[in-house]
Order: sequence, then structure tokens, then C-alpha cells
Amino acid sequence: MASHTAPSEAERHAEHGAGRYFVVWAILLVFTGLTVLTGRQDLGAWNIWIAMAIASVKATLVVLFFMHMSEASGANRLVFLVSFVFMAVMMMGVFGDLWTRNEMTLPSAAPSTLGPEL
Amino acid sequence: MSSSDGHAHARHPYLAEHFETIEKQDHAVRLGMWLFLGTEVLLFAGLFLGYTVYRHFYHETFHEASRTLNLAMGATNTIVLITSSLSVALAYHAIKHGERKKCISLLVFTIVCACAFLVIKAFEYQHKFAEGALPGQFYHFKEVTGPGANLYFTIYFLSTGLHAFHVIVGMSVLIWVLRGVIKGKYGPDYYVPVELGGLYWHLVDLVWIFLFPLLYLI
Repeated sequence: MASHTAPSEAERHAEHGAGRYFVVWAILLVFTGLTVLTGRQDLGAWNIWIAMAIASVKATLVVLFFMHMSEASGANRLVFLVSFVFMAVMMMGVFGDLWTRNEMTLPSAAPSTLGPEL
Repeated sequence: MSSSDGHAHARHPYLAEHFETIEKQDHAVRLGMWLFLGTEVLLFAGLFLGYTVYRHFYHETFHEASRTLNLAMGATNTIVLITSSLSVALAYHAIKHGERKKCISLLVFTIVCACAFLVIKAFEYQHKFAEGALPGQFYHFKEVTGPGANLYFTIYFLSTGLHAFHVIVGMSVLIWVLRGVIKGKYGPDYYVPVELGGLYWHLVDLVWIFLFPLLYLI
């Protein structure tokens, strides 16, 4: 068994002070402020990408340091990260459809639900 | 492996019969938790996908509707959740180092934060109910009337509702963990329940990190 040679999970949980958590918390708060600042400005199509980039950085910090993914064993990293991979596959599949659609097939092209104008 | 030779030293009090060592048990328990968290990500992924599709269809309306949410309350809730994530991480750190009293107060603080989140959310919901910004056919909000407006609020209530449900579950888990800590069940040699309860709470924070910009800022 690999467990004889590989360091145990408990050993891998390296000793570090509580200060690290406060640093991560402060960075998360700064990014929250940043996302509020940029979020309410009209940057056109950039808004969503900036917001998602900030959210991804925040999520990565939470997963790596608060959830100790940086110290987790390989199997644990794999199962969690694979769920994000499948989420991306699902999104790409759907967006492959949406982005290649003809304008007329979008609901915005549908006639008004109020019925035809007389 | 029914014989007990080789177990010269006393078995760990929390070691289940079917595990050889506490390390193997901890490994299995952690893997199980991460698998569960993976399924939670996929559960919310469905809602995020629904959101992206309808946002693509009704871009303008979604933008307009997001501006009617209370940004101050949403941002406050984000700070509350991030701070509670910090306190639960510190509680884990404390119990690992045998600081039981500190762990108890940090867990209590986390649970108070969870309550604060729910109270703020309830005020937001109440406001939306009063305005008529309700899902589907119950929608009668005057400010946003474009096509897809009711869909935005359907997604808003579904995703924040499911998230609030997770807050309630996470809070219950933390209360159960707190009970164990008060009873003195956990310490430097056994703290996995505190760790896993904390992991669940961080997931609740993680989901909100994405929900907040998508609903309030887009």
C-alpha cells in the first residue's frame, strides 16, 4: 500500500499559524470590494468576465487555504476538481449551441406574448 | 482480518471496526466528504447553467432586474459569509491545537453569522414579496416588465433559496459539531468532524461567491 511510504494526510497538514487565515480573509474582502466597484460600472461585455474572474480568484483562495486543498491528498483533489471539469463540459456543450444559433431562433425574436397588434 | 493480533496498542475510541487504522479511516472519511462536495458543485452547476442560458436570451431584462436587488444587503451578506468562513477555519485550527474554549467561541460566532445571513436574506425576500417580484406567473413587479423578467426572479429565488437551505443545513451541522466540542469529544488527536463540518460551511461560502456577482452585479 502506498500509505506506508507516502506521508499521511495528518502529516501533510503542515504546521502553519492562524495568521494565514487572516491574510486570506483580508484578500477576500478586498476582492469583494473590487467586484462591487467594477460590477456597477457599465463596462459592456467586460462586466461578466471581470466579475467571473474575481469570483474565480476568490473561490480558488477559499478552496486552497480555507478548505486546505493545498494540503489535501491527490484523490481528494481529483474528485473535487473533476466536478468543475464536468461543469465546464456542460457549459461548453450548451454554449456551443447558443453561440451558433440563428438570431431568429432566440426567444427575443419571438412575437410579443401580448398577441398580434391589430 | 478478524484476529486482533498486531493491535498491541489500544484502538482509537473513534475507529470503526472495519478500518485497520485511524489514518485509513480519516482518509476514507475525507474522500467521502470531497466526493459529496463535488456532487454539491454539480447540483448548483445546473442552476448556474439555467442562469447563463436565460441571461443569454434576455440580456437586457436580466441587467435591469439585477439593478433592483439591494446591493448593500447582498454585499453585507458576502462579508458575513466570508467572515464566518474565516472563523470556522480558525475553529478548526484551534481544536487541532487543543484550544477547546477558543474553538467553542469561534463556532458560536460562525453560527451567529449564519443566523445574520438568513435574517438579512429574509428582509430581502420580504421586500421582493411586497414589490411583487415573484417567480413565474405570480410576477407583478412594475419596475421591470420586459420579457424574461419573471424568469430572472424565478432563478433568483431558486438559487438563493437553495443556497439558504444549504446555510440552514450547514448551521445545523456546525451546531452538532459544537455539541461534540463542548462535550470534549474532539481534540488534537481527533478533529475530523470539525474539519468536515468546516468544509461544508466553506462550500456554502463558495457558492455565494459566484451567486453574488451573477445576481446583484451583472
